[in-house]
Amino acid sequence: MSEKLFAYLRDDGRWGLRNNVLVLPLHSALASSARTIADTSDGAVAISHDWSGEIDSDLTRILFTLSGYASNPNNYAVVFLIIGSAEEKSIIDGAQALGLKNFTVLSLPEIGSLEKLQSDALVVANKYVVEAKSQKRIEAPWSAIVLGLECGGSDALSGITANPALGVASDRLVELGATSVLGETTEILGAEHLLAARAIDPEVGKRIVAMVSRYEASINYEGIDIRGAQPSRGNIEGGLSTLEEKSLGAAKKAGNAPLTGVLEFGERPLTPGLYFMDTPGHDIEQLAGFGAGHINVVVFTSGRGTPTGSAIMPTIKVSTNTPMYSAIPDLIDLDAGTIADGIETLAQVGDRIFDEIIEVANGKLTKAERGGHHEFALSRMYKTVIGEYQ
Amino acid sequence: MSTVIKGYAHGNRGSGIRNHQLILPSVICSTHVSRRIATEIEAVTFAHQHGCAIIGDDVAGIDNFFIQLADHPNVNSALVIGLGCETIQGQELAAKLLERNESTQYRIIQESGGVEGTVAAGVKAARELNTSFVPVPAEITTLRVGIDNGRDYPGMTNLRGLLEAAGHTVIISDSPFSSAESFSRLAQEKAHIVISFPSETQPPSGFPLFPVINVASSSVLHQAIRADFDIAESQVEADITALIESVANGIHTIAEKNKSGEIRAPRVVRSV
Amino acid sequence: MRKILILDSRDNIAVCLVDLEIGDTVEQDDISIKVLNRIPRGHKIATQVISKNDGVIKYGERMGHAVAPIAIGEHVHVHNILGDRLSSAQS
Repeated sequence: MSEKLFAYLRDDGRWGLRNNVLVLPLHSALASSARTIADTSDGAVAISHDWSGEIDSDLTRILFTLSGYASNPNNYAVVFLIIGSAEEKSIIDGAQALGLKNFTVLSLPEIGSLEKLQSDALVVANKYVVEAKSQKRIEAPWSAIVLGLECGGSDALSGITANPALGVASDRLVELGATSVLGETTEILGAEHLLAARAIDPEVGKRIVAMVSRYEASINYEGIDIRGAQPSRGNIEGGLSTLEEKSLGAAKKAGNAPLTGVLEFGERPLTPGLYFMDTPGHDIEQLAGFGAGHINVVVFTSGRGTPTGSAIMPTIKVSTNTPMYSAIPDLIDLDAGTIADGIETLAQVGDRIFDEIIEVANGKLTKAERGGHHEFALSRMYKTVIGEYQ
Repeated sequence: MSTVIKGYAHGNRGSGIRNHQLILPSVICSTHVSRRIATEIEAVTFAHQHGCAIIGDDVAGIDNFFIQLADHPNVNSALVIGLGCETIQGQELAAKLLERNESTQYRIIQESGGVEGTVAAGVKAARELNTSFVPVPAEITTLRVGIDNGRDYPGMTNLRGLLEAAGHTVIISDSPFSSAESFSRLAQEKAHIVISFPSETQPPSGFPLFPVINVASSSVLHQAIRADFDIAESQVEADITALIESVANGIHTIAEKNKSGEIRAPRVVRSV
Repeated sequence: MRKILILDSRDNIAVCLVDLEIGDTVEQDDISIKVLNRIPRGHKIATQVISKNDGVIKYGERMGHAVAPIAIGEHVHVHNILGDRLSSAQS
């Protein structure tokens, strides 16, 4: 395999591992148009979301997420679809401030109808696709890799096979000068002391403990038992009994590297090293936070198997057990179940994951990319209904 | 004096004005597979971000929301697509739907060989549902007409009177901001058809299960995209009953043609 | 092949690498355990006596506590243990 990295250099010095043309609707009424445009284009991608410009307690979080997502270095260009609101403008301004250079804004009221918006956007998207295809990858430093660490549908083998193997790969990359980001606050609850003990300075250690306490307090405030969701029913069937058990296994994705820093949801790591980002355990909300935080490749370990992918970040899926890998082969890129069966060592599987990250970074398509899985979800902290359930 | 609308008898769901086959993803992770199945057989489906990492009242709330959608009178059959490890389990959701309506099936990604296996199995199951549950023509005289009250429409009282005089049941939902939330509420209230008065700064939109007649205000936004509205506010009192009749008899609204509008499920607790 | 995996010397449970049946005997690493329940692959088996309210230790770390006394060879799961945080007794 190639020990060298080849990526797309952006004008501001950031590196993209993909050269996406993203059609981004900034109002939910434009989401189906965005999907249609991407489906009929020569290779553009799109996401859907359910935000209709609501101005509520989650507004800042939503604007920040969409600005960050649009400006992810994996995007060559973005076609924004808007209805012309001030909030949409602030998303686009935010994306520019975060480094987005190539973009076109198509405004529904200026164009006059959804049908015309779609046909105009298709022309623009296809023009960008042609430009994107003409760009060449060049040799890139290891710091070009900003890896996201994720697990979903965990089972009792997650903490023994796929997660520690991913930890081996993450440690190797961090050692070389890359960036690696662990997420899912729910899933370090009970393991935060282990991460804090590895912090590069006491301040970082205090911050990660505070971040988990803040999360715990917000759930306690609701007065809700989170079992059933965390660990989920699938986790429990898989043998995980408590949230702490899940967390102790989940934190192994971050290997043993020192913890360089702590990030808020969607915040970008600005120097290489290992980071923790405050995200929900919801796999796809977490992926949205990673995208907004300019992560450019993700490794996702799973005990149960998931089709999840991202429109903008290649997402490598690793199974924790071989029966699952064999049962749903089109969802999973690599199997780490061999560790439990004594066929391979942790280090061997860790090296395979490392090699796969480099190959995918250099352009190899993941199974989720080949399958066109472009899930997206906005993370909200507050309720979305006025009043109660009917 | 009520008119007779040619609809479809959908068993326990009641009679509907559309004959939708619903592909219902029980979790965000199965929305893409659901969409592929729906595209293949021209069924309806929708993207959403729910079904997992939900706690408290949201578990029963989202479950009930999906049940209400699958139980809508415009739905002929429902095929639930689950992942397998989610909070809202596809198989259990399907069992609850089956108690209400025989025309229900489910397929689970983790048990059907992954994405391609589930798409193939789902298309097959959906075709079987289609063959087994042929819609029976029904004559409908009373429609449940939902009104999405997103702005201050001065003729509301008159409109309500007109619709009730035509024999329809009127359900009004005040939308505090966008239509998406109102549509979800009106779907749970089993509205056959919805007349939407989006706020002056909101675009028109639709909903997968029922036709939405969008009424344009005189606002700058609405006038700029007049082509995306079915009717102007000034025409409502004169033309709405005839328009409802034609849409109920199968003419597509502009939002139906554009397939616009996303589902916004109600949530009361943050995700975890 | 190994039937169970003890992850840390401080642990009082082990992870089953195969489905275990009642009456099976696991003899491995100088220990001998008689299996008291059917335990699926991936689930936990007690390798030490765990009294009610004692900590359950996995990876050398506390992952919760016992809500009932647990004998060696017993299935350790949601029916007899509970997390220490954000969890309450099941109704």
